Amino acid sequence: MTKWLKSRRMQSFLGDPSALVGSALLLGFLFGAIFAPLVAPMDPYDLTKVDLANFLIPPAWMEGGVSDFPLGTDDQGRGIWSTILYGLRTSLIVGVSVVAISSVIGIVLGMLGAYYGGLLDAFIMRAADTVFAFSTTLLAVLLLGMFETRGIFTVIVAICIADWVKYARTIRGSVLETKDNAYVLAASASGAKDARILFRHILPNALPPIFVVMAVDMAVVIMLEATLSFLGVGVPLTEPSLGMMISIGKNYVYAGMWWMVVFPGATLIAMVVGINLFADWLREELNPKL
Amino acid sequence: MRRLTLMTLVAALVLALPTMALAKADLVVATDAPPKSMNPHAYSSDANLSYMSNFFDGLLQRKAPEGKLAPALATKWKRLDDVTWKFELRKGVKFHNGNKFTAADVKFTFERMKDPKYSKLLNIANSIQSIKAPNDYMVIFKTVKPVPWFAETMHMNFIVDMESSKGRDDGDYNTRPIGTGAYQLVEWVKGSYVRMKANPDYWEGAPKYKTVDIRPITEEATRFAALAGRQVDIVNGVPVTLFERVKQMGHVEIIARPARRCIYMGMSNTAGTPFADLRVRQAIAHAINEEEIIAKIMRGQATLAHQVPDVPTVGYDASIQRLPYDPAKAKQLLAAAGYANGFDITVAGPNDRYVNDEKICEAVAKYLAKVGLQVKLDVKPKSIFFDELTDYKHQFYLIGWFDGSFDFGRSTEKLLHTPNKDMGMGTYNGGKFSNGDLDGQIIASSSILDRAEREKALQAINRMSVKEVAWIPLHYQQDIFAVVKGKNVKFTPRSDRWIVAKEIR
Repeated sequence: MTKWLKSRRMQSFLGDPSALVGSALLLGFLFGAIFAPLVAPMDPYDLTKVDLANFLIPPAWMEGGVSDFPLGTDDQGRGIWSTILYGLRTSLIVGVSVVAISSVIGIVLGMLGAYYGGLLDAFIMRAADTVFAFSTTLLAVLLLGMFETRGIFTVIVAICIADWVKYARTIRGSVLETKDNAYVLAASASGAKDARILFRHILPNALPPIFVVMAVDMAVVIMLEATLSFLGVGVPLTEPSLGMMISIGKNYVYAGMWWMVVFPGATLIAMVVGINLFADWLREELNPKL
Repeated sequence: MRRLTLMTLVAALVLALPTMALAKADLVVATDAPPKSMNPHAYSSDANLSYMSNFFDGLLQRKAPEGKLAPALATKWKRLDDVTWKFELRKGVKFHNGNKFTAADVKFTFERMKDPKYSKLLNIANSIQSIKAPNDYMVIFKTVKPVPWFAETMHMNFIVDMESSKGRDDGDYNTRPIGTGAYQLVEWVKGSYVRMKANPDYWEGAPKYKTVDIRPITEEATRFAALAGRQVDIVNGVPVTLFERVKQMGHVEIIARPARRCIYMGMSNTAGTPFADLRVRQAIAHAINEEEIIAKIMRGQATLAHQVPDVPTVGYDASIQRLPYDPAKAKQLLAAAGYANGFDITVAGPNDRYVNDEKICEAVAKYLAKVGLQVKLDVKPKSIFFDELTDYKHQFYLIGWFDGSFDFGRSTEKLLHTPNKDMGMGTYNGGKFSNGDLDGQIIASSSILDRAEREKALQAINRMSVKEVAWIPLHYQQDIFAVVKGKNVKFTPRSDRWIVAKEIR
């Protein structure tokens, strides 16, 4: 334990205040999301629990506020605090799944293209260019418009289709760089199979930039989910989402009911800032030249 | 130095460009729905007809505020017998392109309205058997069967010019309206505004405002901002969520009037589904706390509905009472019907059509969950929802309805009669509600001509529809308009919410 604490990387982490703040924020959000059913005063998406009678209550410290709803309620009588906690789940589920799935797809396709080159490479990279030519948001909106059903799952699929390209391009660059190194040639000369060369020799050395892309991408994906839900093409009304909360709340801003927009908005910003602070540290640590 | 001057000049020009482009019209009206086409027969929605009423005239018109029928392109009309209607046309009227308006244009218009390629007003067009024009200024319609409300729809069947319409391609026909109306189209910028200028030769006299912009602003908050920033003179559709705030604005006068449109939950009774049991339908009605929906979601800006037709409609029956909110009774009825543990039900509806439609659906879902049903919510944009509705994909759905002809008979054919494409029945009977007795009464009522007897028959249908819980009426919307003070704009809202610019003084 002490050895691990004293390692160079840990020392650098502990010595970097922004990395600490970022991770603290992330841990807090993770905790809130995982334990939402225990922490939240109510399940805002259990139709039998939500009561229209509690609609548009201001935050607890304001006139008319009640302690049951610390951050107030929205126009269906859902507590803002509870909805944020459940909304975080959606954000993080989408963020983590998209990053996991699209990085695997991107890494495999990018590596194959770079290692074998030729027609395969050309095909994969032209496909990537085509996807890349669209703005990610636009492509996701188009895809979601074509799907019959709506839900977290379709949102994840749509974002993955638009998102794997980043990983493919990044890994391709580093594989091209490493594949002619002496140790790779040596492995090949000693008769190692392609799969072994790719995954044991090339991949570990090509990964560090991918970690950085993953960290940054997480923030981008979370924002994208919020954007899609804000636009009304993301998760359906029956599932919590920070973007959806903001979309509902925006109609009330002029009526002076700011809490429906400000709290979920601030949560979203804090989460993205947290991830970026952490990603920043990671970038400096892993890949000073990127 | 010279370069600097030049740059300043260019900068000044660039800055001035948007102001020039947005030179303000004499009157700017913000409304909540954009036009979808400039073909006057392309859509039967009041939103589209509202725009069209400025470029075109019907044979008749309805005057604000109560919508009494008045002469327009026809000066006199008469029902000669059960199926024959005579219209005498106005002389000396010209289309925007200078062509003379004659009986041939009327004949052409109604024939074109029968073509699904050009028209969604098929119901009325297909009820016409023949059109005769004995001379240039007289038209005689014969209908297939007696249509008591035939003349009542003549304010929304807009007359197009025969000579020019024949030769135009669809793209042009759908974007450039040529009518006899009080205004001519100047420019239609999709998603931004419709600009029009006064027709100086209008048969009713040139309208007061020389140029009028109608700006569709679908976002509630943006509509409010336009009002707060005095960018518009009239707002059609003040958002209820911001009603209190608008009331506090000193420069704005609010005009609210009960709307004709009734928001209701349509229902299926298809055999084999839980809905087939009357007790289940009653239970659903008992479960919904409509008073709370009005107080909270509608912020008091709605009136409780006991039935679908509104007071001025022939067929309204003041004695009808809605089933009261009583969740205990709802549970009891469900248990009696064998659904003590509930069943799967989907609440469907549009999310961009009626005031707070999506929120009402959410609230209904909640009430149903509280009496033990397993509820799913399925709200979507109107463009998708209404296609699904007319494909009969939903069993329980929210829609709104009012009858432009002030006759409940037409509504019953579209909403209550068992769907039958060949007969043109049940088009919007989304849940395929079917009751043979009701169907018989609906058919029988259409040939009753005597108004008093007709009213009796329609009231009987109305009573039965509520007793059988063919639908659950929720509320009549309140139409809320705002007029910016200072310019002395005299605006009287119409019961159909149309913005007819010539009526604004």
